[in-house]
Amino acid sequence: MACLLVPDLPLRAELRAHPELEGKPFVVAAGDDARAEVIAVSPAAFADGVRARGSVTQARSISSALQVRVMSPALEQATRQTLVDLALSFSPRAALAERSTWAFPCEAAVLLDASGLSHLFSQEAHFASALGARAEALGLPGFVAVAASRSVAHIAARRCATTDPSRSEHTVCVLPPGHESRFLSPLPVDLLDPDDKLGQQLTRFGIHTVRDLLRLPRRALATRLGPEVLQLAARARGEENESPLPAPSDDLIVEAMDLDHPVDRSEPLLFVLRGLLSRLLERLTLRRLACGPLDLELELVGGGRDARRIGIAGPTRDLRVLLRLVSLSLESDAPDAAVESVRLGTRGHPLQCDQLDLFRPRGPDPNTLDRTLSELESLCGAGRVGAPEIANEHRPDAYGMKPFQPASLSSTRSSTPSSIPSSTPSSGPEVDRVSGETLVVRALRPAVAAEVRVSRGVPVSLRSAVSSGDVVHTSGPWRTTGRWWSDTERYALDHFDVQVSDGTVLRLCFDWHARAWRVDGVYD
Amino acid sequence: MSRQPPGGVLKQVRRTHNRIESRIERLESLLSDFCTRLPPGLTPANRLTLGGRVQESAGHLPVGCDRIDRLLGGGFPVGALSEISGAASSGRTSLALTLLAATTAKGELAGWVDAADAFDPISAERLGVDLDRVLWVRPPNEREALAASERLLKTEGFPLVLLDWTNRRAGPGTASWLRLTRLAAASRTTLLLLSAERLAGPHAALAIEMQPARACFTGTPSLLETLETRMLLVRSRATSVDPDGASIVVNESAA
Repeated sequence: MACLLVPDLPLRAELRAHPELEGKPFVVAAGDDARAEVIAVSPAAFADGVRARGSVTQARSISSALQVRVMSPALEQATRQTLVDLALSFSPRAALAERSTWAFPCEAAVLLDASGLSHLFSQEAHFASALGARAEALGLPGFVAVAASRSVAHIAARRCATTDPSRSEHTVCVLPPGHESRFLSPLPVDLLDPDDKLGQQLTRFGIHTVRDLLRLPRRALATRLGPEVLQLAARARGEENESPLPAPSDDLIVEAMDLDHPVDRSEPLLFVLRGLLSRLLERLTLRRLACGPLDLELELVGGGRDARRIGIAGPTRDLRVLLRLVSLSLESDAPDAAVESVRLGTRGHPLQCDQLDLFRPRGPDPNTLDRTLSELESLCGAGRVGAPEIANEHRPDAYGMKPFQPASLSSTRSSTPSSIPSSTPSSGPEVDRVSGETLVVRALRPAVAAEVRVSRGVPVSLRSAVSSGDVVHTSGPWRTTGRWWSDTERYALDHFDVQVSDGTVLRLCFDWHARAWRVDGVYD
Repeated sequence: MSRQPPGGVLKQVRRTHNRIESRIERLESLLSDFCTRLPPGLTPANRLTLGGRVQESAGHLPVGCDRIDRLLGGGFPVGALSEISGAASSGRTSLALTLLAATTAKGELAGWVDAADAFDPISAERLGVDLDRVLWVRPPNEREALAASERLLKTEGFPLVLLDWTNRRAGPGTASWLRLTRLAAASRTTLLLLSAERLAGPHAALAIEMQPARACFTGTPSLLETLETRMLLVRSRATSVDPDGASIVVNESAA
């Protein structure tokens, strides 16, 4: 088992969201008032003499250039989950360790099953170094320990963190099997992370190290300190019962952030969203997944909430495309009030692969196609890119659009369509049939209004933006009615095929509800 | 060892060269015959090499009508811009959809950039277009339409991209046509422009003008049965255009 421990998570979470703070003196406080407790101190502020557990006022009195960030639970949670994603990039089984409430409130630890990794790494130390290096590259430098059990690995990582505050060396610890008790014996009992009450009792009894604890008789310990101490003793011996680590059940990836000040303009909001999206993509890349539809939730000033789903034509990892889609969504439907907090979530989608077929043309690479679809959607807007579909509707101008998924098409059509033009001329040597069994209509969206003069129920002349003149030939009317049960959607249309004197052949329509003529198609 | 006069050596070399050339020609014809028999999944015909020479023939995307394909010299040129222009009811959309149907029937994908927002799925489906293989892009304006066309041309796997520009009187300008033709050439895609008037000018490798001839209303009550149009080949980079013989009459008829 391996444990990756980040001792100062609030600090790392802030640096991850605000990289501009790197190298500057700042602290993370539990609240936004002057008496709030300082829970994490940056190295620059530490060098100035600022320490954790004091108040913000005290910290400011020590360092005048100090910046104070208020702890963001959403940001912290996202950073913790990033550690899990990082662990999952090495092992399929990983989980966050239980949060320490007493001795190590700022730490975050992720445990991962390292069994079977010997095929990838010749030595456990190499694996631990690789894990540490990847965490550092993500902006989450930490300590890695490898041991036979989870609790021992966690304690070993804690020991690295407490004995090496400079973090320049000894960031990796590998315990060979059978050496657990020898390693644990001299360690302070606080590293076992007893709860608040038990910790105080142990201190009162003068039990400072693991060795002190293990020397005492088990039954007497339970009698005096309660049953919790037995679990602590089992942990100290490296014999704690551990259930297997679960495989991740969900591919939901969420990045969230509480804003310092409410934001009411789109540019700063997009700047925040850009950061969230880039971190989201960073995590998806770790999991070898691509971004699916985005769920954007905005907490608004005054208690309102704006939740929206931003559709994506195909899974993608292109930040530019995602940002444009988010921007289009916000432009088309701006939030009603200033934004206080942002939450962006997506369900990871595996990158697609295509099984090539010997008897089928090689289509586009599925991932390239997904990127293309997303880019096209970001260019044209949602719902304007896809495969055309015949709408389940009798209305002549109805049409549909569905997601373009050519990868699901396994083979070509079983037979050549009957309407593919025949190669033999149909009527004499000089005339060839182009479109087979149908006349082709060009739709006019929206339909163009027309002024029509009617004689004996038949149009005789028309004036419209498409064509104007006397009607030479008419065919119709063809009546279509539907949705009579709905006041807003019902329709009753009379269609005429007309040829105007300028040669144009139109589909002219009289709407009985609007009592208006319009041209909704041109034969072409 | 007898020395031959230099003229004899030259003759022998020339004879050998001719023999090798004729063998290469035979091999090339065999190879092209073999390529035409290959299933569409194996489409390396344009890239097969023989004796280190790349076959330079760009190929054509056939419409599927013998007389039209003959007029066009085999179909619409691959890796080039072609243009179909004409007034309303001249049959330009019918011709484009026929090409689309022939292309999708082979299992190929096609992109329809609908700057005019006029694509009618019902007409296309009745004409035999496999709608699942058509990527319909409905850009809100010209700039996005050009950008979408460029994006599609950059994506491998779309041998046909149609740009419907019929409701625009003006083209996007020389720079855009140049960029589009270069992308089409690089990706070996047939780029087909539908327009009301000729817009691409010299950038189009092939230009067809469609002219409405007559609409046939028959029967009592009268029904629109046929649209007859004249198809005029006005420009072809591959073949010389004969102004008298480069046109045919086509008709489209209702079921």
